[in-house]
Amino acid sequence: MSTSTVNVPVASPLTAGQRIAMHYFIAAMVLFLAQILFGMISGLQYLMPDVFYNQLDFNVTRMVHINAMIVWLLFGFIGSVYWLVEDEAKTELVGAKLALINFWILTTAVAVVVVVYLFVQVGPGELKSIWLINEGREYIEAPRWADIGIVVCVLVFFYNIAATFMKGTWSGISGVLVLDLVALAGIYCAGMYFTPNISVDQHWWWWVIHLWVEATWEVLVGCIMAWGLIQTLGASRKVVTTWLYIEVALMFGSGILGLGHHYFWIGTPEYWLSIGGFFSALEPIPLVAMVVHAVYDSGRHGFKSANHPALAWLIAHAFGNFFGAGVWGFMHTLPQINLYTHGTQWTASHGHLAFFGAYATINIAMIYIALQRVRGNVWMSGGLSDNGWKWKWSLGLLNGGVVGMTVALLIAGYDQSFVERALEGSTWSGYFQAQQSAWFMQAMNWRMVFGCMTTVGILLMFWDMLTIGTSETRGKQALAPLPE
Amino acid sequence: MGDPIGLQDLFFGTMAGAGVVLSGALYALFFALTRLHGSRAMNIASLAAYLLLIISVFVMANALALSGFWILVSAVMLIGYFLLPRAIWHLCVGTHAAEAAATHSRATQ
Amino acid sequence: MNEVPWWSSETLWRKTAIWVTAFMAVVLIVLTFDTVRQITAGGERVPAYNVINQKIFYEVNSDRGYQVPRIGETSALFGNELNEADAEALVTLGKLTVQAKNCMNCHTLLGNGAYYAPDLTKAWLDPGWVNEDLREQLMVQFLMDPENNARTFGTGRRMPNLGITEKEAHGIVAFLKWMSSIDTNGFPRGFKPLEQEDGA
Repeated sequence: MSTSTVNVPVASPLTAGQRIAMHYFIAAMVLFLAQILFGMISGLQYLMPDVFYNQLDFNVTRMVHINAMIVWLLFGFIGSVYWLVEDEAKTELVGAKLALINFWILTTAVAVVVVVYLFVQVGPGELKSIWLINEGREYIEAPRWADIGIVVCVLVFFYNIAATFMKGTWSGISGVLVLDLVALAGIYCAGMYFTPNISVDQHWWWWVIHLWVEATWEVLVGCIMAWGLIQTLGASRKVVTTWLYIEVALMFGSGILGLGHHYFWIGTPEYWLSIGGFFSALEPIPLVAMVVHAVYDSGRHGFKSANHPALAWLIAHAFGNFFGAGVWGFMHTLPQINLYTHGTQWTASHGHLAFFGAYATINIAMIYIALQRVRGNVWMSGGLSDNGWKWKWSLGLLNGGVVGMTVALLIAGYDQSFVERALEGSTWSGYFQAQQSAWFMQAMNWRMVFGCMTTVGILLMFWDMLTIGTSETRGKQALAPLPE
Repeated sequence: MGDPIGLQDLFFGTMAGAGVVLSGALYALFFALTRLHGSRAMNIASLAAYLLLIISVFVMANALALSGFWILVSAVMLIGYFLLPRAIWHLCVGTHAAEAAATHSRATQ
Repeated sequence: MNEVPWWSSETLWRKTAIWVTAFMAVVLIVLTFDTVRQITAGGERVPAYNVINQKIFYEVNSDRGYQVPRIGETSALFGNELNEADAEALVTLGKLTVQAKNCMNCHTLLGNGAYYAPDLTKAWLDPGWVNEDLREQLMVQFLMDPENNARTFGTGRRMPNLGITEKEAHGIVAFLKWMSSIDTNGFPRGFKPLEQEDGA
């Protein structure tokens, strides 16, 4: 079975789509660094509230922290799609030049938004501020002009992808992908209007946040994974496509009305308590299905990979998604519990593990797949010249750091729900009492320690990404052909 | 929504919630391994995981003072996590049937 | 033997995926119409903006088993009773300011936002404002000059100076008062509100 042949690298120039993808990947990594940098400042402000007081306050640092994350993940997804589109459509990218211009417009817009966030920060209470400075709505703070720009750029991206498939061939994966991109762009529009009514505001706001991260993003990742499995493990296209449909049915079947678990306390009717609770109980189903399927597959052909860093990050994705979204999500999603945990560090704990586990990991895996090609289809299996210590250590530090932050924030969240909610009746003084309790403060210290660990992991990962395979003389490990 | 819950209940409720998903997945894992290898140890492990799931659901229902509709949700979880791995395994065998046949015919050629 | 059974065929699951997604989307849309109707200002769950002319209490409703807002006697904000249009304009100014000053990236509103500063859902009813008579003045002072009036309870976590004008501060207070009247299904549970005189 294991006929691993060592040969010389057969370099082939990147295709037009892959060159665009590399632009997106590089921008994504720069934004990833920005995310961590501002995350560290935010974390530090919990410990030392006077740091950058009245200069770069928590509301700004935290906004950049979460916005950089959303945008780098989106850049990673767009890059991944550009990477696979030509292979999947079996033709060249339509409008490569347009795609490049689109990239630069989008990236410039992101840069302008960040500069305004940092140097203008806030505006007067007028519509003008919302159009030009920031919208002041968590995760979708981007000012309205940028919202419109983002939608236009996504539509250009969509045109490029759909037109390429139309010129080439369609497949099950590309069909799901294109429909999902329509939903992705469409749902974003639900977050683009002003209303004084905070209940209506948050009702639609959750359409964007929940239906993005718990529905359309999941399916987008499903498409990328499906393509990746065919590519890296040589899985049968027919089987993979069928399973993509099964996963879509399970994810949308549980995820769309899972939206209800955000409608418990924002003024929305009581029936959402039952709907949200019920569908939250269903949301782990796709994850459990993946467990069974993974065991079945491993039993059939075992795991063999020509790209160890990518495979390791895919495994990190499987675990991260399961624990971050599945376990951490369900822990506080029933209304009986959520009544105490809603709006506390619990959410921060869940958010850190889920975003990293479900989405950051898959993007990093895709970048490693791309890098192998960029470096000339080189060997990336076991026995790298430096024993692959850089990717192994960065993998360990990043995952360990995020898990550490998650556990620290969970402890802080417990303490906060106990002291502030259950004991002190959710008053302001109760809030501050919780913030000063020994457990909470200890947890915040540890969060910072693990934040540093994460930062070291990222820097090491960048070093690895810049160097891996550069001095490699062996070609990519050939995999034994799998059954058709 | 039932009565307000106490401090301890909040702790047990969340831990049991995590336990439900964890033991549900563990059950699925050991169930699949049992099907794969037909080993007795795996079978026992899967039963133990399911027992853990039952305990988790009971602890959760108790801690959160669940009643009415919420008991139904708990029951759905208990039955669902029992049936789901079976259904998914079935689907695995079904969807891979063509692939298996191809391997088989190639091996015998 | 080598045939894929019908229940695991690609076609069946493609159709299933489409139908499940479509069905769930339709259910969500139907529920959305009902929900938006119920949360439009002026309904039972989300009162009209001129509720700021009245007292707002937060107390246990024995039928539902948790606290809900109750609208009391007239108590005009800043001593001016406003008609519906003016009340909406004032709350709108407050909401615009809350967004433009990026409050949500430190505070939570209805429990959503960041966790660096207290939840604002029932801020109007917080006992930290000492009593009914001082409340409005203290809130405005706090908003306009947080450096000197911040209520940090010893944490040193002061609100930054956001350049809030007096007009904007009035708008924010109106917005907060209106928000405290929203029926949030008992969130936050067991809240201990400011003691208010009940003339009802």
